Amino acid sequence: MLDTAPAVGKAPGRRSSGRARSRRRPRFGPYLLIAPTAIVIAVLMFWPMIQIGTMSFQKVGNRQLRGEPAEQVGTENFDKILNDPFFWQTLRHTVLFAVVAVALTMVVGTLVGLLLNKLGKKMSSFVAGGVMVAWATPPVTAAIIFSWLFGSTGGVVNWFLDLLPNFLVGGGWDDYNWFATPLSTYTVLTVCVVWQACPFVAVSVLAGLKSVPGELYEAARVDGSGPWRTFWSLTYPMLKPIFLVLVVMSIIWDFKVFTQLFIMSGLANRDAFNLSLYAYSEAFGSMNPKLGMGSAIALVLTIILLIVTALYVRVMVRQGEMK
Amino acid sequence: MKYIKVAATVAAIALAATACGGDDKDDKGSAGAKDPAQLKVWMMGEGTPEQTKFLDTVEADFKTKHPNTDVQIKYVPWPQVATTFQKAAAGGEGPDVTELGNTDVQSHIEQGNLAEISDEFGGWADGKTLNKTALENDQANSKTYAVPWYGGVRAVWYRTDWFQELNIQQPKTWAELSAAAKKIQDSKKVPGIGVPSDQTNALLSFIWGNNGEVATKDNDAWKGQLDQPAAVEAVTFYAGLVNKDKVAPEKYIGKNELEGPQRDFALGKLGMYFDGSWSLKEMKKISAKNEAKWGVFPIPSKAGGNAPVMAGGSDLAVWKDSKAKGAAFDYITVLNNAKNAKAWADYSGFSSMRSDVSFSDPKLQIFTQIATNTKFPPISAGWGEFEQAKKVLPNAVKAIMQGKPADAEMKKANEQANTLLNP
Repeated sequence: MLDTAPAVGKAPGRRSSGRARSRRRPRFGPYLLIAPTAIVIAVLMFWPMIQIGTMSFQKVGNRQLRGEPAEQVGTENFDKILNDPFFWQTLRHTVLFAVVAVALTMVVGTLVGLLLNKLGKKMSSFVAGGVMVAWATPPVTAAIIFSWLFGSTGGVVNWFLDLLPNFLVGGGWDDYNWFATPLSTYTVLTVCVVWQACPFVAVSVLAGLKSVPGELYEAARVDGSGPWRTFWSLTYPMLKPIFLVLVVMSIIWDFKVFTQLFIMSGLANRDAFNLSLYAYSEAFGSMNPKLGMGSAIALVLTIILLIVTALYVRVMVRQGEMK
Repeated sequence: MKYIKVAATVAAIALAATACGGDDKDDKGSAGAKDPAQLKVWMMGEGTPEQTKFLDTVEADFKTKHPNTDVQIKYVPWPQVATTFQKAAAGGEGPDVTELGNTDVQSHIEQGNLAEISDEFGGWADGKTLNKTALENDQANSKTYAVPWYGGVRAVWYRTDWFQELNIQQPKTWAELSAAAKKIQDSKKVPGIGVPSDQTNALLSFIWGNNGEVATKDNDAWKGQLDQPAAVEAVTFYAGLVNKDKVAPEKYIGKNELEGPQRDFALGKLGMYFDGSWSLKEMKKISAKNEAKWGVFPIPSKAGGNAPVMAGGSDLAVWKDSKAKGAAFDYITVLNNAKNAKAWADYSGFSSMRSDVSFSDPKLQIFTQIATNTKFPPISAGWGEFEQAKKVLPNAVKAIMQGKPADAEMKKANEQANTLLNP
């Protein structure tokens, strides 16, 4: 969060001087410095993106991978996708999951961040360390651990729920199959993804909180403001730029969740597919790849993401201007 | 920062060392004979020390004929097979010899991944011992592209002690199978039988055991038969073990036989389940406590008798881009000679596709008998997409297990079969 933290307390004087100098003569230095990164990003990201764009209008299978020219099919891939009710089902799963997961990630992450700020030095490092472990866990590992936790033989969650009295949670948990229906699958998925994503939010919020001058909180306390009021009238406005970035990043991450769902429920449960899994099953699911279809789905996903993000950033920036 | 740099360097060196481990052996032979300096062999699966040891002896045999060729084995885990072959086709970094899942062979042929080996195969005396049905699956337009290596058939694993104690005879019909499961469930307090929704291999035995079909060939086009009464009845019975007879638990819905049933059976928490001969060594790893009490009987058909079983398994092929096709085929003949085929069958638990090789373990011998009654799913390049990418049957079975009407689901599955099997 190095890039956003200075934005909170920036010195107003510096920007004008920079602008004045650049007007005098064009500066190539910065561009030269950024060139290597830009080239690497162009090769590794923009080129594949252009490829996905062209492939989504083509029919690409293994024969084409071997070097045969690909057949242009116009918008056939998109027609097929948009007229398939299955696509809309996966889209609904993707959007609903993103809404729930982003909201939960932000709430839990912020709460953990506030907690870290309140705790004493030793306890704070202890909790931060524990939280970091979740962040450091690779998604594949996390997904396998969670499918074991929620597994039917020897799963800790079922064992625990079975121990609880029946009037609280009902009986028959011992053999409960968490991955049989979309709703329960997504419940586990949400827990897993939020668990992994909230440390980043927590640490970013903590970094922001450290930059808020303590006098403001003192003043708020003197004025008799409770924790709820303090958060919404003081902390939230001060950290707004950080929240903006965090929400946008969370939306992007949660829209394209793939690994965890792939491992937890896999291709045998099409009723729980999201867009990424749908694209994967078309493009890489078998020895008969349909890379054109896969690209088209990926492109749709990207466009949706761009629209959502652009709208959100626009709204946030406008609100900022009006104040 | 210093620490990170050191760690990164160490990691890079370690990576480089393991990656090149096989390369820095002598290349001096490449100049003299026609033998290639190295032969890249891809084996499917995770690979085990025992398998590596077996392949080392194969390499030693191979070297008596090609002393200057270094054999390099690469293991490709099954879940990564499709993407690995896609990369091989696109990047040209393919193997010389490769193992292939037999249901993928037609797709590979269609996509031009395999070299034609009709002549080499014709000159190989042992070729005549190979299973004829399996060999058909390796041919297209009367040209041969691969040879059968090993196969596996499924049966029902059960507890001999429970059958004896409860006085259950070996089930010969569907009704008896369900009744046996009920008896076990009632007195042993474990689910009677494991019926996962993602186990097409077992499901096919029920469809075939009712004289049903997935699809039949009609004037060069595959015509789906899944909406016919025989197939619908079979799937209804299979799913009904979960939602009607209630002798199979719901916890295996959406799973395959490895994601629960195998483990639960090995732990003594399940009465019966469908799996092949190779599962014996996996179950022993989970818990060998009840090993002596595990038994096997063939999947029954509806009216009585053994249902046909799907012949799963692997074949061997020469990759199209190989620069050493002769040596590659020689490797196949050594790997699949009588001695090595026997050693492989005994280690892996898979039946050899050679008629002159059988298991040494008496417990597995029944599989040799079951394997006399095999069938193939539609030999179509589209089967891969039907079964792996779209998982049409597993998803239909899942929906039916969860209460959707079987007629409608099977009708949808049949429409999928009509399109996907005719790519």
